[in-house]
Amino acid sequence: MKSISKILMIITVLLSAVNSFAQIKNAKTETVKIYGNCDMCKTTIEKAGNVKNVATVEWNKDTKMATLNYDSKKTNQDEILKRIALAGYDSEKFLAPDDVYAKLSGCCQYDRELKPVATTKDAGMDMKADHGNHNAKEMATTNTATTQNALQLKNVFDNYFSVKDALIKTDAAVSSAKAAELVKAIKAVEMTKLSTKEHTVWMKVMKDLTANAEKIAVAKDVTKQREIFALLANNMYELAKVSKQETPVYYQHCPMYNNGKGANWLSKEEAIKNPYYGSKMLTCGSVQETINNK
Amino acid sequence: MNIPKNITTRLLQAVFILLCSQSLFAQKVVRYDLYVKDTLVNYAGKEKRAIAVNGQIPMPTLTFTEGDTAEIVVHNQLKESTSLHWHGVFLPNKEDGVPWLTQKPIEAGTTYTYRFPIIQHGTHWYHSHSGLQEQIGMYGSFIMKKKEEDKTFRKGIDDLPTVPIILSEWTNLNPDNINRMLHNANDWAAIKKNATQSYAEAIKEGHFKTKIKNEWKRMLAMDVSDVYYDKILINGNHTSDLKTADGKTLKAGDKVRLRVSNGGASSYFWLRYAGGKITVVANDGNDVEPVEVDRLIIAVSETYDVVVTIPEDGVAYEFLATTEDRTQSASYFVGNGIKQLISPLPKLKYFEGMKMMNDMMKMNGDLDDMGMKMSLNQMDMNVVMYPEITGDSKQKEDHSQHNMNMENDPNRYNANALGEIKTLNYAMLQSPSNTELPKDAPVKELKFTLTGNMNRYVWSMDNKILSEVDKIPVKKGEILRITIHNNSMMRHPMHLHGFDFRVINGKGEYSPLKNVLDIMPMETDTIEFLANEEGDWFFHCHILYHMMSGMNRVFAVDDYQNPNLPNKKQAYNKLQRESNMPHFMAQNDFATNGNDGDAMLQNSRWSLGTEWRLGYNDMHGYEVETHLGRYIGKMQWFMPFIGFDWRYRKMGMDEHETNLFGQKNEKDTRRAISLGFMYTLPMLVNFQAEVYHDGIVRLSLMREDIPISKRIRAGFMVNTDLEYMADLKYIINKNIGIRTHYDSDMDFGVGLALNY
Repeated sequence: MKSISKILMIITVLLSAVNSFAQIKNAKTETVKIYGNCDMCKTTIEKAGNVKNVATVEWNKDTKMATLNYDSKKTNQDEILKRIALAGYDSEKFLAPDDVYAKLSGCCQYDRELKPVATTKDAGMDMKADHGNHNAKEMATTNTATTQNALQLKNVFDNYFSVKDALIKTDAAVSSAKAAELVKAIKAVEMTKLSTKEHTVWMKVMKDLTANAEKIAVAKDVTKQREIFALLANNMYELAKVSKQETPVYYQHCPMYNNGKGANWLSKEEAIKNPYYGSKMLTCGSVQETINNK
Repeated sequence: MNIPKNITTRLLQAVFILLCSQSLFAQKVVRYDLYVKDTLVNYAGKEKRAIAVNGQIPMPTLTFTEGDTAEIVVHNQLKESTSLHWHGVFLPNKEDGVPWLTQKPIEAGTTYTYRFPIIQHGTHWYHSHSGLQEQIGMYGSFIMKKKEEDKTFRKGIDDLPTVPIILSEWTNLNPDNINRMLHNANDWAAIKKNATQSYAEAIKEGHFKTKIKNEWKRMLAMDVSDVYYDKILINGNHTSDLKTADGKTLKAGDKVRLRVSNGGASSYFWLRYAGGKITVVANDGNDVEPVEVDRLIIAVSETYDVVVTIPEDGVAYEFLATTEDRTQSASYFVGNGIKQLISPLPKLKYFEGMKMMNDMMKMNGDLDDMGMKMSLNQMDMNVVMYPEITGDSKQKEDHSQHNMNMENDPNRYNANALGEIKTLNYAMLQSPSNTELPKDAPVKELKFTLTGNMNRYVWSMDNKILSEVDKIPVKKGEILRITIHNNSMMRHPMHLHGFDFRVINGKGEYSPLKNVLDIMPMETDTIEFLANEEGDWFFHCHILYHMMSGMNRVFAVDDYQNPNLPNKKQAYNKLQRESNMPHFMAQNDFATNGNDGDAMLQNSRWSLGTEWRLGYNDMHGYEVETHLGRYIGKMQWFMPFIGFDWRYRKMGMDEHETNLFGQKNEKDTRRAISLGFMYTLPMLVNFQAEVYHDGIVRLSLMREDIPISKRIRAGFMVNTDLEYMADLKYIINKNIGIRTHYDSDMDFGVGLALNY
């Protein structure tokens, strides 16, 4: 028993020595509010604030209050709060960068009470929206012919995008079904309603376009479909360059396909989703050109 | 009768008054007294020497209006000489402030007056041109305002509240020591920046092959900047607030024009703003058509005028200057209230940069741009290292194949095409007015190749340092058209004294005017200017440590008689000498089995070195080898030398040393003169061949400082005397390491390695 108590004593002495060693000198304690939600926030906030032997932070998720304990000769409240803000958490002194806040996981995205509501920005956006409506109306009333033209090719493009989306999912059945619809859409186009430019290109590509779409429709193998799609995509690109689009269309390029010879496609989204590899290499590629013919 | 007389007198009076007022106006002398004095500062935890002018760092902002006469009186209260150069200012050559080129140094304890008319406007700055004084405080803003009736006065820009901003870096090390360490390839700065790029780190990131290829091509670690700084300062502070401008409290919608000068000695800074876009309205003191960007990099000694807007009340928006290596930054908060931060720039992907350099570097040390015709900072090879543009390194693995195929993409180094962040480049700058030069003036074409090597920190133009060239003669009234190609591995901000040059950037007659042009590795740029002011004008890299290594030229426009320098030849010799100062290094390992060490005195071309191995007893022996050599070639891989060896080793009765070729040495004491050469082989292995006067031949292979991990270095040596050595060293700080080695003569030893 005696020896045990001795051992215990030694351990306590040792521990307290370690303790005192790790203690912060010139300690100053402050309590500040830091905005956040959950236990995950707590971990992030404390990790960002802590510096060994210089500062410790303890945050309470219910009260949102943090206890800062720091060496007043080595650091100050601002430095600690700045680090925490750079990790995504607002305090009375600092607002976190927007991109860092946006990257916090869903449960951590607390209400940013301190951030002023972007009044001017919103107003600007409204104005833009108004403007947009206005334009649309004007276009609708003054030039119905153009909108109809757009519709003529719109079906072709929409079906093309459906084929592409099916290929992204590596779904041969859907691809072939959508390709069949694309063939129909191509046949439905009334050439006389196209603008001169569109008409010229349409004449040039229509034959290939139809043939390729039909081939995709018949092919049951996704590899084969993709090979043909690479050809089809080039026809569509020529068409896209001369036709009106409601939203910008992105001309994208995968450098790897076809043994490094590369292949292209059109997409309505700027973010890359590769129809030639699907999930195998979904984001391989880059935007070559943004086509914006309103 | 009376009436006309009256009119004449009145007229005369009026004319007189007009003349008077005009002459008064033209002679408005603005005088500043500058007291230059040693001081102690504490910017980064330690008290260190600095130089303050009128008690402050940075030096006071000097403000003039176009048409004034500047009179600046320098009171040198230092213990050394000084000088002040007015960066980007048009003036008579004798006022330019380059010691031994345009004036004698301002000696300690003396007073010197600069006096020149102000004939331009814009944001400029001034700094010491003596030694490394610029690094420790001698920089300040120099602002020349437009007259309000100026035709080029831009409403909405030139009438905004302005704030002078001068960026700088602080290091707790003595700059002379930094200069020395750079020349000795001391990698302490890399350790501090966490940029050693050692083998361990390479393996961890899956870049072992990249590292091998890098060393095979005889390159040291990929470096974005050479010096580690402890603090970045904006107007002398690490963090500052701008709550009012022109006496008014800043509120939502207000615009502020920041007149930013980069007074750093060797740092480039990224400038970004948390409150939205930055509008660039002037560069190097010259107006440019406003350009909106997300960020810009300001090269050493450049100036940019940028306009920022305060979006909301109750918030102060961070204007952040981050060093190019991204290790340090300084903040300036614009507005009132809670501080909106901008996210820091993510860490550089060094190994991607190394891989890129490997591809560009040919075996002979030349750079190959693979036909990309790079210019004007449009293609930034460094984007491969920027996670915000080319993605995080973690995601890289899925895309490794993809990246390989990216190599055919013409835009793969074009930051603005790759990412959503708009970065300023020189091709975006356009002058609002016609800047064409007179068409009938004769044109003199010059070509420079920027050269250098990192291993020995020698920087030059056409592989010649200033001390190896004469002044370049230019006739007054000639147009100088200079094409500059950067064939070195670092970027160089080239600065011309006394003139603004046009940058040929595709804007035709509206080409922008600048006086500093940053040229990235592999870029080729063309500049031109009319040499219409006689005198000796300096043209140099503005990275202080590159300039001090001799990366300079002088354009001598006509035969200018400078009253400050009656003996021009002697003065030029002094200038040349100052740009090729010798530097000393020494190291010794105090080990259990003896002392191992060497000392070297080197300048850009010559090396005098001595190496010793001193045992603690006669059996182990004592050995000293001294070499005097000259480095040959641009990359300095080849060094022929003459040497002298002395050694003493007590050998047993029948003992003698035989080398690989069967040559014998039977004497205990040996003194020998030798001829030989050293050549750096791929993998940075030094091959040394020597013939002694007694016919004995010795070949050896040696490699030092193999970066195993961040702080561990390895080395080895084998020679034809059948001696060998291998060592491991752990670096504790910039001067101390723990070293263990095995030596064929002296066996195993552990010791403390000190280096200076």
